[in-house]
Amino acid sequence: MDPASPSPVCFHCGSLIRNGEPLSVRIAGVAQPVCCAGCQAAATLILAQGLERFYEFRQPPTARPATAERNWSIFDRAAALRRYSHELASGERELTLQIEGLHCAACAWLIENSLQRERGVTEIHVNAASGRAQLRFDPRASCLSRLLQHIDALGFAPRPLSFSAGPPPDTAERRAALLRLGVAGFGMMQLMTFAVSLYAGVIQGMAEDLQQFLRFVSLAVATPVVLYSARPFFVSAWRSTRAGRPGMDVPVALSIGAAWLWSTWATLRGRGTVYFDSVVMFTFFLLLGRYVEMSLRHRSVVQQDALVRLLPESVLRLGPRAERVTPDELEANDCVRILPGERVPADGVIGSGSTEVDESLLTGESAPRARGPGDTLLAGTLNVSGTVEMRVLRVGPDSTLAAVARLLERAHAARPRIADFADRVASGFVMGVLLLATLVGLYWLQVDAARAFPTVLAVLVVTCPCALSLATPAALAAATTRLAHTGLLVARSRSLERLAHADRIVFDKTGTLTLGTPRLDEVVLLDARAARERCVAIAAALESHTAHPLARAFAHLNAAAGVTGTRSAAGRGIEGWIDGAHYRLGRLDYVLEGGTGAPVPAALRADPELARIVLADADGPLAAFRVNDAVRADARTTLAQLTRLGLIPLIASGDQPGAVALAAQRLGGIGARAGLRAGEKLAWVQQLQQAGHRVVMVGDGVNDAPVLAAADVSVAIASGADLAKVNADLVLLGAGLGALAGAVHTSRRTLRIIRQNLGWAVLYNLTAVPLAASGHLEPWMAALGMSGSSLLVVLNAMRLLKRNTARVEPGGVARLEAAPAEAAR
Amino acid sequence: MSSLYLLIPLALLLLAVSVWAFFWAVRRSQFDDLDSPALQILLDDDRAPPRAAEKRDA
Repeated sequence: MDPASPSPVCFHCGSLIRNGEPLSVRIAGVAQPVCCAGCQAAATLILAQGLERFYEFRQPPTARPATAERNWSIFDRAAALRRYSHELASGERELTLQIEGLHCAACAWLIENSLQRERGVTEIHVNAASGRAQLRFDPRASCLSRLLQHIDALGFAPRPLSFSAGPPPDTAERRAALLRLGVAGFGMMQLMTFAVSLYAGVIQGMAEDLQQFLRFVSLAVATPVVLYSARPFFVSAWRSTRAGRPGMDVPVALSIGAAWLWSTWATLRGRGTVYFDSVVMFTFFLLLGRYVEMSLRHRSVVQQDALVRLLPESVLRLGPRAERVTPDELEANDCVRILPGERVPADGVIGSGSTEVDESLLTGESAPRARGPGDTLLAGTLNVSGTVEMRVLRVGPDSTLAAVARLLERAHAARPRIADFADRVASGFVMGVLLLATLVGLYWLQVDAARAFPTVLAVLVVTCPCALSLATPAALAAATTRLAHTGLLVARSRSLERLAHADRIVFDKTGTLTLGTPRLDEVVLLDARAARERCVAIAAALESHTAHPLARAFAHLNAAAGVTGTRSAAGRGIEGWIDGAHYRLGRLDYVLEGGTGAPVPAALRADPELARIVLADADGPLAAFRVNDAVRADARTTLAQLTRLGLIPLIASGDQPGAVALAAQRLGGIGARAGLRAGEKLAWVQQLQQAGHRVVMVGDGVNDAPVLAAADVSVAIASGADLAKVNADLVLLGAGLGALAGAVHTSRRTLRIIRQNLGWAVLYNLTAVPLAASGHLEPWMAALGMSGSSLLVVLNAMRLLKRNTARVEPGGVARLEAAPAEAAR
Repeated sequence: MSSLYLLIPLALLLLAVSVWAFFWAVRRSQFDDLDSPALQILLDDDRAPPRAAEKRDA
């Protein structure tokens, strides 16, 4: 990339850089642009420690660091230390952290290397797969808060886990599967040498006692493989048979079990052919397929404790001894004080004070709501403007936040399912195979009893659903890997099949099509005294003293210096002195309160929207500001691409009609519904589904979560609320929506590959079965044919990984923009 | 050919040792994270990390 024309994308997090002061960091002598002070600080810290190689090896764009300073010292309290860590004999303490924003091995490397340079850290290991870190530190040399603060500064969010949390539940399952696969692999390699010797011995004439010796050795190697590695097949076959629905594992268990018994019998008798090699090879390849499938599934693990992340790290509990505690420690009837900018730790009732609360995560309403004494506050919502004292009513599982999560689980269970191919045909297929094997066996018993068993075994092995069962997961795995490179994380790979068929795509507005942060759109001067630049500078200076959401529209603008005596009125505005002049900024009625009774300008009377942010001095209104939620830079092109691919975009928003209509019009006049609550969005999506449409839902808030779960395919934006992130089928990382169109294209290619694979598997079975049934195939040939067929299916799926396909993909351009670091290399 | 009666049991012994080593490695988390260690070796640091006593007092 030409350094002279820097891309408008943040070097650290990949977000599009919006208006405002250009920030940059110098890397290898070249100034690289960054989007915000948080990213600048994180990048500077990484460079100062000499860890700039992180930028060469990371995969998807890094998470954007939170700019707000967090208070980690809460974790230094003795009670919290006991709760989250345990002491070792050496006096050191050890704890487990869940780290948010960890996407690739380079991130894990960065955290490990950076923390190892910190005083007091004796050991740290970060697991990139599970996002967990094991930290051991010396409390006499450092304190926990400083280490957490350090991880935070790097742009990742650490969260100490209660010591009882234990290892992630999938670790045990993965280890057991790996051990089974390993044993089968070792056994297979060893057995092949014996099997080849035996086959060659038959041709060349091997001494009978040596043959018998090799048979016994094969038995010794195959037995642990059958008893240990193949155990899951027997268990699952038994379970499905007992339930009256024999599954795919029944013929597998039958052929493994029967071949082993037969071969053992032949070995003990000292006569006949042994099939130990076929048994073990069969087991190994089946386990390999299952292992691939399981690794994929674990990547989409739904975090059970996702809710906790919406709660604040700490809260001030009042009482005889006021102290900051973690939300875990709260109980009903505790009294807590919530400061502006803090999240509400539990459901409760305001005892004193009044404020405005941002409930957009639960209701979708982007404007904050006023709350006073006696009003209810909900856990997870954001206290915007005032300090309140609240009596806790419900904590943890009883809170509204937990109820939303339960609603979500129910919606998950009710998701319309396109039954998997395997599930749908398994029972019929299995019964067919068993029937065929019996018929073949009966026939050969009449004709040539000696060949009956090998023929039945060949039929059972050759009809192994291995290629059939690998056909889909292999293609999905390849597509998942490929999409991850374009910045789209596939959490549930089955959703790709549904994505390929989708014909409607519903977007939430706030935070999805728009950036979720307000932007200054228009300045209307109301008086001849006013100069545009000066008015904006004064407004920016005043807004820098308030935490109101709309104030963020001014955060990147040049502010006038020397503001004194600011005083804010909750939800109405702020006043202050600059260069000896008194200014008020806020709603029209508020700014006129202190004025001289100057007439309301006509522009404001005509447009009430414009009257929300007005700047006035002692002599009357100076200027009005129109603030709008900025539309994402690539939203319009993405929607156009999606329309071309046959997906009709729609907007479902909980926001006010005016704001929604404006966004819809800016995006090319697409269909929109405004003012929808979570339940109404859900109803609309279900209504679309009943009309026969396959619906993709793109959102980011917790209020979207039930809708996301009900849609055929759910897509979440990674910067949004974590709950929605972990419960979506697909997660968009980085800045843009650009990867969406590419994903639709890839999903369709994936479906084509799956069809080819299934077609091949069926064709193979149709040819191989008659050959096996007529006694033309030895069991080892059947096992080899089965493996070859599986290999072909996997290789075909690998074609999805290739980047340079003949057609230029819509997502390709967005990828280049999103990865300046890679392009620069 | 009689050497086979010695060599094959030896091979089996070797097999048993490898399986044992494999179990040992899996149980000690050697296979839990296959991505980060692969990268760590690539990113070998040219500069020695500061010694414990010189660690930054951030």
